[in-house]
Amino acid sequence: MKPKVAIFDLTDCEGCEVQIVNSKFIDRILAGVEFVHFRLGQRVNRWDNFDVAFIEGAVITSHELELVKKIREHSKLVIALGSCACFGGIAAITNFMDKEEAKRYVYGENADKIETLYIKPLPEIIKVDFMIRGCPIVPEDFERVVSDLFAGRIPREHTRPVCMDCKSKGNPCQLLKGVACAGPVAYGGCGAPCPSAGVPCDGCRGPLEDPQITAELELLKKIASKDDIIRLFRKFAPMAPIFKEIGGGKL
Amino acid sequence: MIYDEFVTQIEGHGRIYFEIKDGKVVEARLEIHEGSRLFESFLRGRRADEVPQMSSRICGVCPVPHNMAAIQALENAMGIEASEQVKMLRRFMLSSQMVQDHALHLYVLAAADYLNVNGVADVYAKYPEAVKRCIRIRTVGNRGIELVGGRAVHPVNSIPGGFAKLPTRADMEKIAKDFKSIMNDCIETFNLFASLKYPEFERATEYLAIDDGKHFPVYAGKLVTNKGLNAEAKDYRKHIKEEFKPYSNTKFCTINGHGFHVGAIARVNLFKDRLNPTAKELLKSSPIKFPSDNPFHNNLAQALEMVHYCEEAIKIAEELAVKLKDEERPKQTKAGTGVGVVEAPRGTLIHEYTVDNNGIVRDANLIIPTGMNTTNIEEDLYALLTANVNKPKEELKWLACQLFRAYDPCLSCSTH
Ligand code: SF4
Ligand code: SF4
Ligand code: SF4
Repeated sequence: MKPKVAIFDLTDCEGCEVQIVNSKFIDRILAGVEFVHFRLGQRVNRWDNFDVAFIEGAVITSHELELVKKIREHSKLVIALGSCACFGGIAAITNFMDKEEAKRYVYGENADKIETLYIKPLPEIIKVDFMIRGCPIVPEDFERVVSDLFAGRIPREHTRPVCMDCKSKGNPCQLLKGVACAGPVAYGGCGAPCPSAGVPCDGCRGPLEDPQITAELELLKKIASKDDIIRLFRKFAPMAPIFKEIGGGKL
Repeated sequence: MIYDEFVTQIEGHGRIYFEIKDGKVVEARLEIHEGSRLFESFLRGRRADEVPQMSSRICGVCPVPHNMAAIQALENAMGIEASEQVKMLRRFMLSSQMVQDHALHLYVLAAADYLNVNGVADVYAKYPEAVKRCIRIRTVGNRGIELVGGRAVHPVNSIPGGFAKLPTRADMEKIAKDFKSIMNDCIETFNLFASLKYPEFERATEYLAIDDGKHFPVYAGKLVTNKGLNAEAKDYRKHIKEEFKPYSNTKFCTINGHGFHVGAIARVNLFKDRLNPTAKELLKSSPIKFPSDNPFHNNLAQALEMVHYCEEAIKIAEELAVKLKDEERPKQTKAGTGVGVVEAPRGTLIHEYTVDNNGIVRDANLIIPTGMNTTNIEEDLYALLTANVNKPKEELKWLACQLFRAYDPCLSCSTH
C-alpha cells in the first residue's frame, strides 16, 4: 500500500510547496504515494486517515485554526513545513505591531471586516511530530525527511549553525566585514545561500537548540544599531524562541 | 449556489459563488478567503536593502517579479540608476521565472482540466513524458534564477543598485546551453496546448501590459492598453482603482469603472509583434489566433511565452557570456517615493515605496496581477454562466472553476 499523504497550505506564499515540486524526487513522490488531500495538485480530496500530513503556512484565520485541529485528528504524523508553520513566518511581524492599525493601513475603513489572528507557531496549537525548517525549505531537507519517514525512521534534526555551512562553502564572513549576521545562532543545513551570495543570514531556519546568544548579541551590538538587531531577528522566523524576545526588543 | 470547497489547483484559497434564478444568472462572485498577511503594513520600518527579499515572500511561486518590482521602486525612490548590464541580468531572471512558472501552471495545475483527470499524480501516471518535460523545463528555469539571484525560490543576491555578486562569463555560457537544451520542450509544450480543445467563449475586454518601447513586456515601462491608455507607471493610481468588497480579502481593480485583463493573453494580444523569432513562427502556424478574446486562451499564450522567454534567456546569456564585466554598484540614498513595474507570469505587478532620509521605508502600496484581474474574472464568470445557463449545475460549477484557473490566479499574492 502506498503511504497516504496530505499536503495542506494555510496562509503563506506557497514557496515551500514549490520547493517540494523542485525536489529531485518529485517523480518518485508522484508515483510512490497516494495524495489523499492535496488542494493545489488535484480536484478530488478526501478526509481519510493520513499517514503523514504536511502543513505549510501560518494560522491567520479562525477557519485555519479549526482546520489544523482537524488535520491533527486525521493524521498519524504531522510535519510543519517551512518557517511560516514552524515559527509564524514573515507575517508574524505584525504580532509585534498594533494589529488594528496594521489592518487599517491596508484596508482603511473596512479593516474590521478582515480577520487576522495573533500568529502562533504551529507547535503551540497542535502537536507537531517534525519540523522542516526554512523560508523556504530546501528540497534536500524534504528529501531526507521523506526518505526517513518512509523507511520508518524518525528524521533527525541538524545540530550545527549556518556558520558551518558557510565555512564549507568557503565564504568570506559577513560578521568580519561588520555586517550583522544571524548565522552563528541559526540552525544550519540550508547550505548558506545567503552569505554565499554576499548577504548576511537572516536566521530563517530559527535558532539552534542551544544558541550562544549572549556572545552573538555582544558582537552584534558592536556593529549594528539596536533597531537593526531587532529587524534581523524579527524577520522570517519571528516567533521562534529567543528570536521572539530579541525581535520584541529584549536586548 | 456556491462552489463550497475552495477551488483546487490554484495558488491560495478562493471560492466561486453564483446564483441562478428563473434561468438567469443574478449573481457571480469571486470570494477570496486567503488570510491577509498585511505586507504593506509590516514593510514599513524596514531598511530599503532588506525590503526586496522580504517582498519576494509575497509569493513563492513567482518570487522574482516581487523582488524586481521592489528593487525598481526603491531605486526610483532613492534616485539610483541601474546600469544596462544590471537591467539585462534582471530581464534574464524574469525570463527564467516566466519559463519555469508557466511550466508549473500548465502541467501541474491546468493540464488536468484539459486531460480530464483528477490531478497532477494522474497526469504523471498517464502522461509521464509530459511531466518529465515539465521537470526538465523547470530545472533549467530554476537554475537561471539561482545563477543570477543566488536562490530559485526567494532570490537573495539582487539588491537596489544591482547584485551583491555577479555570475561569470563562463556561467552565462553554460546557462545559455542549458536554456537551448529545453527549447524543444518549450516548443512541444506549445504544440500540445495548441492542440487542446478550449471551451468556446468570447468577451471583449481591455488588456493591460507594460511597454518599454522595445522589448516584449518584462521589466519597467509605461502602462498601456488596447483601449488607448498610455500612462507613466508612477501615475498608476490615476487610472487603476482599487475597491473593497465585503466578501473578499482581495481588493477589486478597475479602469474607468470596468474590469481589465493582465497576464500572458494581454501581453500576447498587445505585443505579439515583439515576440522572438521562433515564437513568432509558431504563432503563424497556430490554429488559434491572437489577439483573442477567449480567456481560456491565456493558457496557450503562456505556452507561447515559454518559447519566447526561453529564447530571450538564451539571447541575453549569450550576449553576457562575451561582455559581462565587473561594475561599481551605484549607491545613493535620498528620500523619496518610487514606483516599480514588471511583468509577472500572471501579469503586470506594481510596487510603490516611500523611503525616508535614513533609508527606511515609510509607506508601501502593492497592486498584484490577480488583484488587477478580479473584476474581469467576475465579469467573465457572469458572461460565461449566462451563455451556458441551461447546462447542469455540476457542469456549470466546473466550467466556472476552469475559467478561474485559466487566469492562473495567485490568491496568496492577491491578498498579500
Ligand atoms: S516559510 Fe517562507 S517560503 Fe515557506 S511558505 Fe512561508 S513565506 Fe513561503
Ligand atoms: S557570514 Fe554569517 S553564517 Fe557565514 S560564517 Fe559569518 S557569521 Fe557565520
Ligand atoms: S543562510 Fe540563514 S537566512 Fe539564508 S537560508 Fe540559511 S538560515 Fe535561512
